[in-house]
Amino acid sequence: MLPTTFGPWLDYTINGLVIGNIYALLAVGLALIFGVSHLINFAHGSVYMVGAYIGWLCVTKLALPLPVTFVTVAAGCGLLGAVIERVGLRPLRNAPRIAPLLATIGLSVVLDQSAQLLFSPDPRALPTQLPTWRIAIGGGSIGALDLLIAGVGIGSAGLLYGFLRFTKLGWAVRATALDRDAAQQCGVDVDKVNRTVFAIASALGGVSGLLVGMYYNTIDPNMGFQAGLKGIVAQLIGGVGNVPGAIAGSLLLGLIESYGIALFGTSYRNLFAFVALILILVLRPNGLFARARRLPPEPLTGTFIAPSRPLVLPKWAVWTLAALALALPLVVQQPYLLQTLGNAWLYALLALSLTLVAGTVGQVSLGHAGLLAIGAYASSLLALDAGVPVLLAVPLAGLVAAALGTALVYPAFRLRGHYVSIATLAVGEIVTLVILNWESLTRGPIGVTGIPPLSVAGKPLVSGQWVYWVPLIVLLAFAALQSRLLNSHLGRTLRAIREDDVAARSYGVDLNRYKGLAFAVAGFIAGVGGALMAHFYSYINHETFPAPVSMLALTMVILGGLGNVAGAVLGAAVLVGLPELFRAAAEYRMLIYGVVLLLLIRFRPQGLLGTV
Amino acid sequence: MADQLKNSLPKKPLLEIAGLTRRFGGLTAVNGLSLTVETGELVSIIGPNGAGKTTLFNLISGLDAPDAGAVTFEGGDVTGLSAERLAALGLARSFQHGRVFGNLSVLDNVLVGAHTRLRAVKPQIPLVGPLVELALALIRPPSVRAEEERLRAEATEIVRMFGERLTPRLDKPAHSLSYANRRRVEIARALALHPRLLLLDEPTAGMNPTETAEMLEIIRGLKAGGLTILLIEHKLDLVMQLSDRVVVMDHGARIAEGPPAAVAGDPAVIEAYLGHKAVGAANQDGPNQDGGRDAEGDAARILVAH
Amino acid sequence: MTDVLLRLDRVNSFYGPVQVHFDLSLEVPCGQIVCLLGGNASGKSTTMKVILGLLKPRSGQVVFDGQPLTGLNTPQIVRRGIGSVPESRRLFGTMTVRENVLMGAYTRSDAKSVAEDYEGVLDLFPKLRERHAQQAGTLSGGEQQMVAMARALMGRPRLIVMDEPTMGLSPLHVDRVLEMIQTINRQGVSIFMVEQNASLALQIAHRGYVLQTGRIVLSGPAADLARDPQIRDAYLGGAQAA
Ligand SMILES: Nc1ncnc2c1ncn2[C@@H]1O[C@H](COP(=O)(O)OP(=O)(O)OP(=O)(O)O)[C@@H](O)[C@H]1O
Ligand SMILES: Nc1ncnc2c1ncn2[C@@H]1O[C@H](COP(=O)(O)OP(=O)(O)OP(=O)(O)O)[C@@H](O)[C@H]1O
Ligand SMILES: [Mg+2]
Ligand SMILES: [Mg+2]
Repeated sequence: MLPTTFGPWLDYTINGLVIGNIYALLAVGLALIFGVSHLINFAHGSVYMVGAYIGWLCVTKLALPLPVTFVTVAAGCGLLGAVIERVGLRPLRNAPRIAPLLATIGLSVVLDQSAQLLFSPDPRALPTQLPTWRIAIGGGSIGALDLLIAGVGIGSAGLLYGFLRFTKLGWAVRATALDRDAAQQCGVDVDKVNRTVFAIASALGGVSGLLVGMYYNTIDPNMGFQAGLKGIVAQLIGGVGNVPGAIAGSLLLGLIESYGIALFGTSYRNLFAFVALILILVLRPNGLFARARRLPPEPLTGTFIAPSRPLVLPKWAVWTLAALALALPLVVQQPYLLQTLGNAWLYALLALSLTLVAGTVGQVSLGHAGLLAIGAYASSLLALDAGVPVLLAVPLAGLVAAALGTALVYPAFRLRGHYVSIATLAVGEIVTLVILNWESLTRGPIGVTGIPPLSVAGKPLVSGQWVYWVPLIVLLAFAALQSRLLNSHLGRTLRAIREDDVAARSYGVDLNRYKGLAFAVAGFIAGVGGALMAHFYSYINHETFPAPVSMLALTMVILGGLGNVAGAVLGAAVLVGLPELFRAAAEYRMLIYGVVLLLLIRFRPQGLLGTV
Repeated sequence: MADQLKNSLPKKPLLEIAGLTRRFGGLTAVNGLSLTVETGELVSIIGPNGAGKTTLFNLISGLDAPDAGAVTFEGGDVTGLSAERLAALGLARSFQHGRVFGNLSVLDNVLVGAHTRLRAVKPQIPLVGPLVELALALIRPPSVRAEEERLRAEATEIVRMFGERLTPRLDKPAHSLSYANRRRVEIARALALHPRLLLLDEPTAGMNPTETAEMLEIIRGLKAGGLTILLIEHKLDLVMQLSDRVVVMDHGARIAEGPPAAVAGDPAVIEAYLGHKAVGAANQDGPNQDGGRDAEGDAARILVAH
Repeated sequence: MTDVLLRLDRVNSFYGPVQVHFDLSLEVPCGQIVCLLGGNASGKSTTMKVILGLLKPRSGQVVFDGQPLTGLNTPQIVRRGIGSVPESRRLFGTMTVRENVLMGAYTRSDAKSVAEDYEGVLDLFPKLRERHAQQAGTLSGGEQQMVAMARALMGRPRLIVMDEPTMGLSPLHVDRVLEMIQTINRQGVSIFMVEQNASLALQIAHRGYVLQTGRIVLSGPAADLARDPQIRDAYLGGAQAA
């Protein structure tokens, strides 16, 4: 496997740099948007996909010359960016910071699904019109497309850097990012700045989609998600919002991946990327190119988000709702409905877990599905390979998820803000990839089959009612415990960490201890949830809990209201139930889901029940 | 008189700072500073903007680590100790621009101040400590409940020190308070820690003279109660009335130290900090004013020439 | 040009359900320094927000230079010629001092005179010249205040609204800033400021208003206010004010 001569290495290097340049186009756009709106734009990957499709139309249907294709793609995606800003984000400018993030997730669902409907989910070929010559150097070779990619990448990055550093509009972009109100008081038209930035970033993203399509000669409607993720990782490696850093981070990421493939094979490619990210974050918590140790400045602005008044359900209402939910199977007997709702309660466990760390402690985790996976695998393997009774395996799996989850996230405890999100996202990916590659333990890509169902006194609980009742009872128990926790001194301490960690430290709050505690509790809840899923599904593999599940969980939590226990349950019920409502229109299901999500955020940005 | 008293009772200073230095790139924000604070004393630190006062507080309170020098608290070396450990040792501070917990109520803000005093928090054994704390929070035995009740009552009492300014807002989120009221919340929070040493960074910023006088009485009361206080303040009246000793900093170093009256008359202090008008001298020469006046006039004229 | 540059006309403003201003009316005549006094939480900073369009009053209007500002957003209002020194400064933390100050000139396009003015403000605050490449967020409190003042001046406004411009400044700088405000004013810029250092503020102001829980309770020439026993009690520290 290991190449022994120099030639292949040069090829790997060139390949790594080319991929790196593509990531750079994405990362720079993301950095720019992050710079101005403190937003990780999850729709960026979708814009990239749209760019590829516009390019495909231009090349195959209209047969336009290459330069015209480029201009069309840039213009089309730039326009799309401006539209995204206008409809998705501007209405949310006074909403809590997390709402726009959710809106970008919704937008990305809408874009991806529309592309599937328009162009079918199948991949298509995107031929390059470039000459096919390759220059041989020292055993490797460089083609025209490689050069074009490098040129576009470096050129646009340089232009952008100059724009931010030296032009008035560039300064306005940075000023707006730092303090909107103050920027307005300097006469900056903040809306215009935002629109411009989204347009530029999206044009870059679209062009990189086109280039990638040509490079691999294939495009498909789902190509955006992974690419967007990589752009985000690259940006993080360089330091959030730092344009030159994003470029360096991208090239580095490209090289790491390319060498990783060379050494261990393709299935390790992403593992390498994410492990590198975690390492860099641990060693240099603010990215590779951030300056040395520095106390975060006291908040200069005193700008506080105008939060909503949380909707507090009276005690009797909570009890009534719980009783009604418990009594439901006595009235409704359709197994399909009960199963769907049972599934919703399982997801509610995940949401409960996430709302604790993301809402209460303010550590927005994007890899929460990893905890589910750990719980699910722990419980099934305990039951299958170690012969532990299922009833015991489930809580044990909770403990395993608590311990392992906390240990894995531990390096991220010293990070702040968005770095935490991305580090947890990486942790989630790493969990999936380890499951995939550690075949001796996890059975690798085949997955675990024949997982025994939950049973009490030898009687398996598999009928429709039990599939509904078991998750619901577990959920109610955990929800009660969590509410009790939040009402204790711990709840107060955890919220204090969210509000201002420096002040919290100054009053004796040991951040590691409390973040650890929160992640342990969250890990336990999610682990039990995952374990129950495994025993109900009877088959799991590395794709049972993919990254989009983490996004879904976050959507539930934000929709319900961050930190709000009842909200998490409601969010799960709505988001698992909603797509089922549209099952008749199966093709349009996800699209409708995206649109409804967008509307909900638009009119209730603080979540249905409000943030606590 | 005070000096005699001190000499007759040989006791260790509560806080001792020796040769403390902190550099930011080429700038030395704190430069070989030495300072002691005796128990029960109120020492003020004054000095021009950028003298390094806040940086000094950050170093003492463990939010920042010095490049050189040592800090001794109650006889033990605490240099480089983390902020949370120092808080547990009884050191509380307020922040210059305010760091309240915006979405927590005023009462909860103050209660977080009492964090280190909670019994559930005390066990520091790794792994076991947090789990015990979790169990106590969930089970909430009578002792824990009683403690919480007691702290709530105490926090309300502390807030009441600030009169009608905060009491009606006890349940309001801290972000909805006006600037000066947020500062008051910070002080209340610091008091809830039952500090052995209290660091106050410009506690009266944003208050008018009447409100400042109110704060002066509060600080005087704290001092009378035996609290040791290190105070940064630009309002000279207050400093003169409260301090046992005044330390003047400039460019990170101490340029004068002594009883308030002596310091206020020190020519170096007048030059660097007070300006001539502030001490009543109409005389306006000296390097700070010299030539500055004309430049100022010119600049302003340029600015407004339409 | 009208005699009154800025006028608030029976303004009622709210934060959610909480009313802050009750029929607030006040005027800033052309070329004058007007100061707004009031205890903590009386609604002074909120008045600034209303003038700048950061908070829309529920009723009443703000009139600048004879034209109502209703319906304009903040940048449009700023372009009409209002500069601001916000409460607690609100600098752009990770931008350099130079960039912060020049951001004040964002609405201007005359590069040459901007450069001249930049030199001008550096002469006013020589300390900023030393620190021009430092990130504003790492400046000391007083240095930040200077940057905020400099930034407001760069827009060549006709009116500057200042929220506690001397907060956190050492005595020497308090004097300098107040003198500077006077100097600027003498060149024709009107000033509307909130100032806690009431005795000093009334020395340089032409007129004063006293705000109490959102209502104007007293107004008049600054000199009269400074002698008013009520004011001396409530805002000047009573007997302590010399
Ligand atoms: N993180 C940092 N990086 C670079 N310089 C810094 C940093 N923090 C502080 N400084 C500089 O160190 C000096 C001392 O700052 P400090 O905040 O301690 O002043 P101060 O005495 O509290 O002043 P003020 O009375 O205006 O609050 C200032 O010149 C400031 O610009
Ligand atoms: N964002 C907000 N949400 C809710 N209430 C607010 C908000 N900002 C201010 N308030 C309330 O409005 C009132 C007026 O506040 P404002 O900040 O205008 O006072 P101020 O006169 O500037 O006080 P200070 O001297 O302390 O700065 C206060 O009671 C305050 O609690
Ligand atoms: Mg300071
Ligand atoms: Mg105010």
